Amino acid sequence: MENNDKTNNEEYNISFFKPTTKVAKFNRNLIVTLVLIWAISIFGFQILLKIVEKQTPEKAYTEYKSVRDNLKNGNADNKDKQVFVQSLLSVLGKITVAEKDKEILNAAVNRVVFELVPETDKAGFIAKLDNFKSQKTSDPNYPKLKKELADIAGKYIGVKAYTLKAKLLVSELAFAKSQEPDFDKTGLVMKKYLIHNQSFITDFKFIGFPFHYFYTAVFLLILFVGLCLYYCIAIDVNMKKMGIVEE
Amino acid sequence: MKKILLTLALLSPTLIFASSSTELEGGFKMGPAIILLTILVLFVTVGIFFKAKDTNDFFAAGRKISKIGSGMAIASNWMSAASFLGMAALMYGSGYHGLAYVIGWTGGYVLLLILMAGQIRKYGKYTAADFIGDRYYSKPLRIAGAIVAILISIAYCVGQFGGIGLLFKWILGVPYALAVVIGGSVVLTYTLISGMLGVTKNMQIQYVIIIISFLIPLFLLTYKFDYFWLLPQAGYGSIVSDIVTGIPAPEVPGLINSFGNDFAIMPSPEYAMPWDPSSGQTFFQFMAISFSLMVGTAGLPHVIQRFYVVPKVRDARWSVVWGLFFICILYWSAPVYSALGTILSSSPEIGKLSKDAIVVYTAQLGNIHPLIVGLLAAGGVSAAFSTVSGLLVAGASAFSHDLYVKVINPSCSPEKQLRMARLATILMTIIVSLIALLKLALIGQLVAVAFSLAGCTIFPLFLLGIWWSGSNRKGATWGLIVGGGISLIAITYFIAGKFNLALPAHEFINYWLGAWYFAWIGAPLAILTNILVSKSTEKTPLEIRKFLVEKVHS
Repeated sequence: MENNDKTNNEEYNISFFKPTTKVAKFNRNLIVTLVLIWAISIFGFQILLKIVEKQTPEKAYTEYKSVRDNLKNGNADNKDKQVFVQSLLSVLGKITVAEKDKEILNAAVNRVVFELVPETDKAGFIAKLDNFKSQKTSDPNYPKLKKELADIAGKYIGVKAYTLKAKLLVSELAFAKSQEPDFDKTGLVMKKYLIHNQSFITDFKFIGFPFHYFYTAVFLLILFVGLCLYYCIAIDVNMKKMGIVEE
Repeated sequence: MKKILLTLALLSPTLIFASSSTELEGGFKMGPAIILLTILVLFVTVGIFFKAKDTNDFFAAGRKISKIGSGMAIASNWMSAASFLGMAALMYGSGYHGLAYVIGWTGGYVLLLILMAGQIRKYGKYTAADFIGDRYYSKPLRIAGAIVAILISIAYCVGQFGGIGLLFKWILGVPYALAVVIGGSVVLTYTLISGMLGVTKNMQIQYVIIIISFLIPLFLLTYKFDYFWLLPQAGYGSIVSDIVTGIPAPEVPGLINSFGNDFAIMPSPEYAMPWDPSSGQTFFQFMAISFSLMVGTAGLPHVIQRFYVVPKVRDARWSVVWGLFFICILYWSAPVYSALGTILSSSPEIGKLSKDAIVVYTAQLGNIHPLIVGLLAAGGVSAAFSTVSGLLVAGASAFSHDLYVKVINPSCSPEKQLRMARLATILMTIIVSLIALLKLALIGQLVAVAFSLAGCTIFPLFLLGIWWSGSNRKGATWGLIVGGGISLIAITYFIAGKFNLALPAHEFINYWLGAWYFAWIGAPLAILTNILVSKSTEKTPLEIRKFLVEKVHS
């Protein structure tokens, strides 16, 4: 009697890693295979991205670096100042820029643009700017005034009126409200927004996508559906082969 | 004359709405309001037609749902405000990092299918707490399981109510707080009327509405802005690449948004590059979020509960495949909204937008017909409703079935049980509405808290309960204590942070045990504890092991 109980006790055990029946072994092998494919495809790829990544600066950052010391030391000429403002506008035009970072960049842009405006134009330009700032975006005159100002401001920083930078500059300028620029903080903000983790995987294009983006946003989802489909078919086929009918 | 009147009647909402097409928020929008009302009336009607007749109907839809129908219900149940609104919002705000949520919320289904679906159906219990109480032969664990299930449902619902509030605010032009109250009342009414049978039928209809409302604007937007519109889900690569390299403003005005700004953007590689410094998110956080959402998916009570409603074990498996496919249609599409929204909102005139509403704003900025934008918003409400109703049923089941009937009053009548379920639904709605008013985080992030909680608590109990007969009551109890403890620490620090209370080592805890991803460590530790304690204590009773061998793994 005691022996029988012992046998029963040992018979009724389930352990994923120690399957005792043919079906259980099949299930274990199938699950292990699929989980491995799943894990390597998801986490393995991201680890690979991390391993091969290189900190890659945008063109705007390289330009910024070429003139920042001159600006900081007060040795910058007008060309340097134009390059400086243009590079800062490259960051201000990004939708991800945080408010506190925007304030830091704005201060520097306002100061340097103010220096770029010739003394003879200053009063007129400021008056035009104030008039523009008093308009609402829904006012009928708003687009016309913006275009006029972009045309003038664009010339000061060396860009055409229709460009994004010229239009953006008009929105960012507010001489009256501008704070004292901090060039050290400006440098940190520029680094934060203009240096990216890139590699041959991110640079390679696949049906228009940066490859890593396609892999994560599109391919992995296809793979997940495929893994689920394969699992169901494999289980059904195996059940049929073994003559097992589920409830 | 009749034709003229009919045409005017059909067009009037359009005309009224069109007047405010360049205001992203604006006041009351007649067209979208009519569409929303029509959809809600449809839901309630379906709910009445398929009203729950008894507790069996209320909890498990009488097990009459087909595998494709169940797949649609899984998808609809799953495609919440977090999927419909939150995912695009996360990518809009933090670019590639947002994809951690996309793969986290889909990859978990692979685990759910291969580790859980069939076995849960074979086990044959109605609720997560039922399973835990039975498998671990413990009343306290049943109670703990029920409480955790209720907490998960509440955490999950908070994000949904946030989404409902946002869309009701947009449609009705009322303040957010009032919008939450109105939306909450409507979803409560129809969950009470219909129960799960009505809910399941509704979910199938909701899936169709959600997916159509999400896809139509997408095809129109990609067509309008000259991208590959026949299959935008695979063809939006050029939009992403355009954001990376930038789109210069044209010399002669061409494509514009509804504000008249050029379809142009500064080079923005941060949108697509991994763990970009500008997003403030790291490689670790990307991995931790993906993992936490995946294990959380396989531990969510309202998702697991869906496997009880299919007639056969095979159907339980196939319903996951169908469910995941239906879900992926939306998940392939959401990044397109985010990408287009990024370009269309890049002009400074647009100002800072509410990220959670970027899907609707993108359609508006793209100058899509106002009624189609209205349909999109109504689809968003449907997405939130379908999930909330499933969550409320799961929470109500945990209260009335697992706590009231099994613990407090075992001799109660089925009518009283149904009354208790309805009472629990009302209480949960009130609690969730109050928390939603606090606006603690983005919709997607709030929902991710529920996933981590499920990953730390329910997932280890189910995983070991199904696959290892050696896991016993004491192991489960200690595993739950560890998983629950980690959850408690992470959530306490998160809430304290929101109220500007600096607890000891808050920066360290907030980074390594972030509220959206604490399951990365909580789940493995709970599993490890369960194994170690189980191995050093008494064996699982023979009858449980016998049941596992003969019924669950036969």
